[in-house]
Amino acid sequence: MNPKAAAALPKGGGFLFACENEPFTPEQFGADERLMADTAFQFAKNEVLPLLDRLDAQEEGLMPGLIKQACELGFGGPDTPEKYGGLGLSKAVATRILEKLSLNGSFSTTIGVHQGVAQLPIVLFGSEEQRMRYLPRITSGEIMPAYALSEPNNGTDALSVASRAALRNGAYRLSGTKMWISNAKWASLFTVFAKVDGERFSAFLVERDSPGLEVSREEHKMGLKGSSTARLILEDAVVPQANLLYLEGEGHRVALNTLNIGRCKIGAMALGQMRSALHAAAKYSKERKQFGRTIASFGLVRQKLAEMAARMFAAESVLYRTVALIDSAFSAREASGDEYDETRKACEEFQIECSLTKVLTTEALAFAVDEALQIHGGYGFTEEFPIARLYRDARVMRIYEGTNEINRLFAFERVMKRGLLDALRDGAPTCPAHEYLILAARNLDASKPLGQELTACMSDLTLLTYAQQSANLRAERMRRENVQFADFGVDAAKQFEASATGWAAARCAEALARMGVKQNVSLSSAGQPRDVADAVLESDGYPL
Amino acid sequence: MKLLVPIKRVPDPYSKIRLSADAAGIDATGLKYEINPFDEIAVEEALRIGEKLSCEIAVVSIGDAACEEQLRKALAMGAHRAIRVDCNETLDSLGVAKILAKVFEREKPDLVLMGKQAIDDDCNQAGQMLAGMLNLPQATFASAISIVGGIARVTRETDEGQETLELKLPAVVTADLRLNEPRYVALPGIIKARSKPIETLSLSELNVSAECRVRTTSLSAPPPRAAGRKVANVDELLSALRSERGLKL
Repeated sequence: MNPKAAAALPKGGGFLFACENEPFTPEQFGADERLMADTAFQFAKNEVLPLLDRLDAQEEGLMPGLIKQACELGFGGPDTPEKYGGLGLSKAVATRILEKLSLNGSFSTTIGVHQGVAQLPIVLFGSEEQRMRYLPRITSGEIMPAYALSEPNNGTDALSVASRAALRNGAYRLSGTKMWISNAKWASLFTVFAKVDGERFSAFLVERDSPGLEVSREEHKMGLKGSSTARLILEDAVVPQANLLYLEGEGHRVALNTLNIGRCKIGAMALGQMRSALHAAAKYSKERKQFGRTIASFGLVRQKLAEMAARMFAAESVLYRTVALIDSAFSAREASGDEYDETRKACEEFQIECSLTKVLTTEALAFAVDEALQIHGGYGFTEEFPIARLYRDARVMRIYEGTNEINRLFAFERVMKRGLLDALRDGAPTCPAHEYLILAARNLDASKPLGQELTACMSDLTLLTYAQQSANLRAERMRRENVQFADFGVDAAKQFEASATGWAAARCAEALARMGVKQNVSLSSAGQPRDVADAVLESDGYPL
Repeated sequence: MKLLVPIKRVPDPYSKIRLSADAAGIDATGLKYEINPFDEIAVEEALRIGEKLSCEIAVVSIGDAACEEQLRKALAMGAHRAIRVDCNETLDSLGVAKILAKVFEREKPDLVLMGKQAIDDDCNQAGQMLAGMLNLPQATFASAISIVGGIARVTRETDEGQETLELKLPAVVTADLRLNEPRYVALPGIIKARSKPIETLSLSELNVSAECRVRTTSLSAPPPRAAGRKVANVDELLSALRSERGLKL
């Protein structure tokens, strides 16, 4: 690549001081990409949704059968290279496919883990031999993989694992306990993280039948009851030396880069469930009558529907902008460079955006399931309607793949570490939330430790800027290109702008107070909210 | 063996159809389009026949470039090639049959397999007219098809029950709902379809003109369904039907 082209590529954190000219939006998908998404949606609707009670009862063989069926249709590894049995699709298309498969939390988690964190370590960091040995069997659904990082005493503090590995007679011996292993019940291959000689953090590919490995009982979870989550107990488990993944002492690269991409997969999973929540809410509010009218005609119900749709629009805009940026980073990898190093750089380039996407999408989902349940009144608190399950299943999304707290702290720490603060302070605002972010950034004393509370304020302002900017740019493009539902897009962006600006003002005020800066933050540039409830009711849910 | 499957681009049957402001047509805003479901069943049946016998499966659609989306879907399902007869005019069933007859002469398939009707205008005529025009045996409303040695054995659904016919090929068969359940369009199939050919033919190349002898004079939405009410027993029901609906029961 010539230096000129490199300079023109978008950079991580670029939204902090400017907008890319044309961020990618879901409206840009071509006819065959829409057809792929449609197959995913039809599969989820016709094959998965009728089985929810049986899946939640952990009926033997049911979920693995669905995963096998999904893999036969090509859902086993949409963005895994064709050479390894995948389809070699872009991250953007793969994200759309996962989103459309994700109408239910348990199935979404199971297939999402299969396509994502469980498979990615091998795709990104496996040797050619390891990839050829495992990936074709994973993408075809013959075997399921799993990702084993967390431990009973190491969750958020993931790199301090207690699991140990030692090389003896040409084989590693692994000991320790791994926790929260999704798909553990069905998995044949685990990516296990342990410290070699108690020091060098490393990743290993451990087959299920390895002597010394045991999958313990299923966790009794609050939600996602149809998914499998169990512990892995390793007692001097024997792992051939050839199953070391990447390099000894470089396991943190495997773990963190996998999670980085995994966070976008979470975004897709959250969006799919949001679609279900909005559908349930719209449908119920048109059916339920009180005081002789459908509750869909009441202002407070309409307000909820409108805000749910607006946040979903913003979350969707952010998700697809982010994954397309990752696609751009991957396609810019230099063929001449060290493959793993180039991949790592591509994964890391947009880590701020990945963390913000995870927080934004999962919190939009949390809002959506909560308000959708509220619309159902007492019935929402029963198992008679699908919303109770959606509510339970959604809860864990703010916890796994890095809690939203750690993602918040990480995102703004990266802004500082990447040296973006100065450019941010000097930048011109691109949207109302951005004005508050710049105001707070100009007052920030970067020489002092910020503390978690202030960092979170700054991170929220960063998040709201990214979301507001992405939603507005998308709406503007929809209007300009006169696509279907362009009016909805414009109104949803306006509605989001109004609510996000209010939130940004409050976060800015808190940030300034924490800095000890005496300044009143006025809510001057808030947009006018638009009512998008009609569009939601007309479409029985999210219109796009 | 060669199978020809005509398919029509129609509004998604699950989308809400609204009339345009001038009521001259339907409002296309936000409308999704699909392969006519009965035609999709015909495509599926052709693929199943192709899995048993060695067949070339060609799909054909009449319309503007937009209907290539539906042709691509049929290719993704597994059809080998596609033809689009370029036409922006509104056609009636006879106009469609005349164009398909020309395509038939060009392609010389052993079997034309198509939906019994399109779900947009519900005419249920094109297949019959095509067979009549070409002087071919026909079987409509097929619920089962098997082909052995140049003979198509077709079970049709009639009001009196099932009827089984044997047709000497070439023939025209139209598909009913229970013939099969179309497969999911697998992702690898969609990728493969990218490199399958779609041939475009003009009406003049086929030496046929667009014809429409039927003019739509008005469209109206069905009246909203009035609220129902419960009656206590059959007698009450009969008396309500007599007094309120004027039925002679």
